[in-house]
Order: sequence, then C-alpha cells, then structure tokens
Amino acid sequence: MEDKTTLQPQNNSVNGTARKLLRFLRGMPFSFILLGFIIAACVAGSVIPQGGSAALYTQRYGASWGGLICWLQLDRVFTCWWFIALAALLCLNLILCSVSRFGAVRRAWKSAGEKTWGVWGSWLTHLGLLLMIVGFAAGQFLAREAVVYGIAGSTQPLGDTGLMVTIDKFEVALRPDNTVEQYTAALTIANAAGETQSGAASVNHPFDAFGYSFYQDSMGWANYVDIKKDGQLVKTDLICAGEYTFPDDQPSLALMFNKFYPDLIRQPDGSFATASPQLNNPYSLYSIYFDGSMVAMNLAEPGQPIPVHNYEFTMYDPVEYTLIVAKSDPTAWLVGVASAVLLAGLFLSFYVRPWEENRRKQHADESAPQLP
Amino acid sequence: MQTNPLLSSLESVAFMAALVLYLICAALYFIYAGTRKEWAGKAAWWVLLAGFLIHTVRIAVRGINAGRLPMTNQYEFASAFAWGIALCFLIFVKKFKFDALGVFVAPLIFLVIGYASMQSREIHSLMPALQSTWLGFHVSMAIIGYGGFGVAFGVSLAYVLRGKLGGLSHRVPEEKTLDLIIYRAVALGFLFLTMCMITGAIWAKRAWGSYWSWDPKETWSLVTWIIYAIFLHLRLRRGLTGRKAAVFAIVGFLCVIFTYVGVNTLLSGLHSYR
Ligand code: HEM
Repeated sequence: MEDKTTLQPQNNSVNGTARKLLRFLRGMPFSFILLGFIIAACVAGSVIPQGGSAALYTQRYGASWGGLICWLQLDRVFTCWWFIALAALLCLNLILCSVSRFGAVRRAWKSAGEKTWGVWGSWLTHLGLLLMIVGFAAGQFLAREAVVYGIAGSTQPLGDTGLMVTIDKFEVALRPDNTVEQYTAALTIANAAGETQSGAASVNHPFDAFGYSFYQDSMGWANYVDIKKDGQLVKTDLICAGEYTFPDDQPSLALMFNKFYPDLIRQPDGSFATASPQLNNPYSLYSIYFDGSMVAMNLAEPGQPIPVHNYEFTMYDPVEYTLIVAKSDPTAWLVGVASAVLLAGLFLSFYVRPWEENRRKQHADESAPQLP
Repeated sequence: MQTNPLLSSLESVAFMAALVLYLICAALYFIYAGTRKEWAGKAAWWVLLAGFLIHTVRIAVRGINAGRLPMTNQYEFASAFAWGIALCFLIFVKKFKFDALGVFVAPLIFLVIGYASMQSREIHSLMPALQSTWLGFHVSMAIIGYGGFGVAFGVSLAYVLRGKLGGLSHRVPEEKTLDLIIYRAVALGFLFLTMCMITGAIWAKRAWGSYWSWDPKETWSLVTWIIYAIFLHLRLRRGLTGRKAAVFAIVGFLCVIFTYVGVNTLLSGLHSYR
C-alpha cells in the first residue's frame, strides 16, 4: 500500500530503483494488474474448452486462432506457467503488503479504542487468501488419486499405493419410482502391514482409511463370459461394459460387451433404451471383432450362446460393478483453515471495524485512532 | 416423484399470488415515482411484504411436498433468488429509510420470479450427489449473497439515474448515503458469496473428492468475487466512490447474473458440468 514508511535519502539510483520496485510490488496497482490478468484467464478458461488436443482447436477456431490458443496455452489455462506465475506474484504482493502493513495495524490495535479487533479485518482477509492459494497450489502437487472398479467380493491393489481394496458389498437403493436414492459400497482396505479398516462409501459420504478418502464414484454392469472351443469350455471371464475378452489361443477374435439394458424397450424412433434399472428384460449389446475390425453387433439375453466359427461366447449372470476413486489431499486442511481466516477477516472488516460514518467522524476528531 | 396434489396446487396458487403481488408492488412503485403520491410508496412496501410472506409459505410448502430443501433446480433457485432479493430489500429499505429504492429493486424481483415462472415446476427426486446438507448451506448463502448484490445494483441504478429522475429525485437520499448503502450491500453480498463458495467447495469435496476443479460455474463465481474485491479496494484506497463505484456495482451484478444464468445456457455446451 502507499504507506509512507521511512523513505530515507537515497544514496544511489540503484537503491532508489530497488525501493521503487519494492513499493510497486507491494502496492495495490500491482494487485489490480494481476487480478485483471487472472480474470482474463478465467474468462478464457471457461469459454475455451480445456485440455483438448491441438487438432481440436485448429478445427474449431481455424488454424491461426487455434495456433494462438495453443501458443498462449489457453487450452490449459489454469495449469500453465503464466497462470502459476500470476498466482505466485499475487502471493508475493500479498506477503509484501501484509508485512509492510503489520506494524501500522498493530499500532492501531494497541492504541485502545472501541472495536479495535476490526482493524485486523483486512489483514486477516489477506492472510486467509494467501494461505488459500498456497494450500491449493501445494495440493496440486501433493494430491494423489487412484481408481479401482469391480463387483462385490473382488479384491484389487489400489494403484501403486500399496493398499488393497476389497469390495465387500455393493448396493443400489432405489426409490419406488425407480430413481436412485443412493449407491453404497462396503469396503475393506488393507495396508502393506496387513492392517485392515472397513467402512461404507456412498455418494456424499466418502470413507476415510489410511490417509485416503474413498469415493463411490459411479457404477455399471458386468457380465460373466464363458468361451467354448469345439464345445469345450476354454475360458471364463468377467468383463465390465466397454471391455472385451478373447480366447487365449485365438486373440484376434474378441467379444466386446458394449452396453447393458436391464429392462430393454424399443423406443418409437427405433433406438433401444432401458425402462427401469430392474432386471425385468435384460439384454447385453455386444460386438464381435476379428483382426481388429467389427464383424457383428447384436443383442443377447443372459445365457444366450453367440457362436463364431468353432468358438462360442456366452454372457450370463449380469452383475453391477462399482467404481471407487481414492484420493488423498494432504493440504486440504490448510485450505480449510485459510477459509476460516478469510471469513473471520471479512467479518471483522465489514461488521466490527468502525463503519464509514464513524470513520468520517474519526477523521474529524484528531485524537481518535487512525485506521491503517 | 410422488407428491401430494393438494400441496402442489397450494404451492401453485401461492406462487401465482406472490408473482402477482410483486407485479402490483412494482406498479405501485412506478406510480409513486411518476406521481409523487406518498401512499403509493407506502402501499408498495406492504404489498411487497405480503408477497414476500406468501412466497415464504410457497417455498415451505414445496419443501414439505418434496421432502427436502427446495433449492436444487433452476425453477426453485430462481424463485429463492427473488426471495433473497426481496428479503435484503425489505431490510435495507427499513434500515436506510429509502422507499424509492423499490422503484429499482421491485422490477428486478419481478423479473427474477418471472424467469422462475418460465422454468419447469415439476418436482424431481434428487440424484444422490445433490442430497447433501452442504448443498443446502451452499444455496442459502448464494441467495443472501445475490440478494445483497441485487440491492447494491438497485441502489447503483438510483445513483446513476439520480439526475434524470424528475420528481423522484428528491426522494432519493443524498449521494453520500447512496454510496454508503451500496457499500453495505456489496459487503453483505461479498461475505455471503465467500461463504457460498466455501460451502460449495466443502460439498464438492465430499461428493467428488476435489473442492475446486475450475468448472465454468466455479470459475465465474471467482470472476464475480474478484470484481467485487476490486470494488472494495478501489473505494478504500483510490476513493472510488460515487458514480464510478455505482457503475462498478452494476457491472458486478451483470457478472452475478451471468454466473447464474449465462454459464448454464451459454457455456454448458462446451464443458461437461461434472
Ligand atoms: C483478491 C484478492 C483480495 C481480496 C479478496 C481482498 C479483500 C479485502 C477486503 C475484504 C478488505 C476490506 C475492505 C473493506 O473493509 O471494505 C481489504 C482491504 C485492504 N486490502 Fe485487500 N484483498 C485482496 C488483495 C489485496 C492485495 C493483493 C493487497 C495488497 C496490495 C490488498 C491491500 C489491501 C489493503 C491495504 C486494505 C486495507 C484497507 C483499509 O483497511 O483501509 N488487498 N482487502
């Protein structure tokens, strides 16, 4: 801020320039410039689709605009170097301004008067904001995420975390009108030392274990598949919608399980849909691939054999699988503390600090403590 | 979803009644502005209070009927948004004894509830992610926050148009007072917008595991927040008071409206909202 802290006589111009620079860096005009750029980044980041391929932008905006977008990194604004630099400079600005104001705020606070806590308001607001940016940025580097999916009864490693996840049970609670009330997965997590923790993860209620929060993210259908060759069972597999399986001796022949309809109906326009999530009329949409190209696509009931030459695929016992996302975010607590500090600061600034009218009176009355 | 038909019709009637009362209120304020009839201004305030109370009943009835806080789709939220502006307006008018503010705010309330009336009123059951207490806090904060910004917008219009209001001008408080009201309203809005964003972040963390993911709605609420933050600073340090501050508060509110409606309608095609 343009506080008039000791401007000593300048002995040389380098020193003077440094001083000017420091004054600029801690001043409000610099904040406005930074915030202006941040707003511009936000507008770009919300209007331009993020994270696409270079081809997407040239296709959508033409070669020159698309090239410009990629050159300015507007395709990933919120993680690009110049956005991070803006955030870092804003932090620097906040730190310098907070340090230089600290003394003045403290003096105002000490020179007792009514409602003096209010003078800390803006200082705390800035501290809260600073902690928030730092906490968020640290979280971007330190947060970990891993995904498992499977049916009830399955156990799998959780990425490279060293944890094992067992899905003990998975339930979809339906309302009378067949809309979903809740998805719940009962989980048991084991660490490398063999210790286990069990609990339930449902939407809006993650389960915390071993430093990770486990989120019930989504669900889908899986099918068991028997593969027979010349009438002999050669393989049994379990595949989720979107996955495929193949006979081990003939990998160029594959069955892809595209989509599952628990309660198949044909809509007026001829397309297929499901009338309810209940298994009233179950069908699986599958396709057969040979040497990488699709040779057939059709619907099959559970247990209905699908012959291909001397092979036969049979999908049966459709079962719901769940997708669990595990996240650890070691700095989320800091962002929480920062939020509390920010809110406290705002409250003090707006409602505890003397109001504008009183401030005017104070300025008239020289003996009253001045606000920093 | 199963709903009680009696409650549904009660809700519809209450909604229409509130809509009509808000319209009458706006009309009375225009009469007040145009004719300097003192009674019109007084009547308008009471009509607004009546509309507000009926509106409150309507929200409660819908909440009972749906078995949840009725603030989860465009219709419910638009209606709650109008309610929030009405609430802040009633408080600010009493506090600052500024009847003519209604001339600027009552039409806004009517516009917002009119927007609500164009949305689907069906009660849907909530998908699991929306069944959260934090969502309730989040939306309640937004309503008060938007209410504060809405009042600031109305007062700013009064400020900007002050000289051009003919007979109404003498009912508009002096500029210093207007400036103070704008500041108080923005401060209220800013505090609640901040709480709205924080409670929304807590909800997102519990539902999806990340408290901030730069989706367009979040990003635009940040833009709104920064604009009002700049407003607060400019007025403190650069002496941005008076007309320029009023213009700033108007721009801020346009940003609020864009965050609320524009993001859903204009940007959703580009981004998947989670
Ligand atoms: C987006 C970021 C920022 C936010 C949200 C913010 C928020 C606030 C708030 C709410 C106040 C109190 C205003 C009032 O009482 O009306 C305030 C005051 C102030 N801010 Fe910031 N601030 C931000 C960035 C900065 C930066 C980077 C600086 C440093 C240059 C700064 C310098 C100040 C000063 C000096 C005051 C004190 C005013 C006074 O008490 O007279 N602010 N800020």
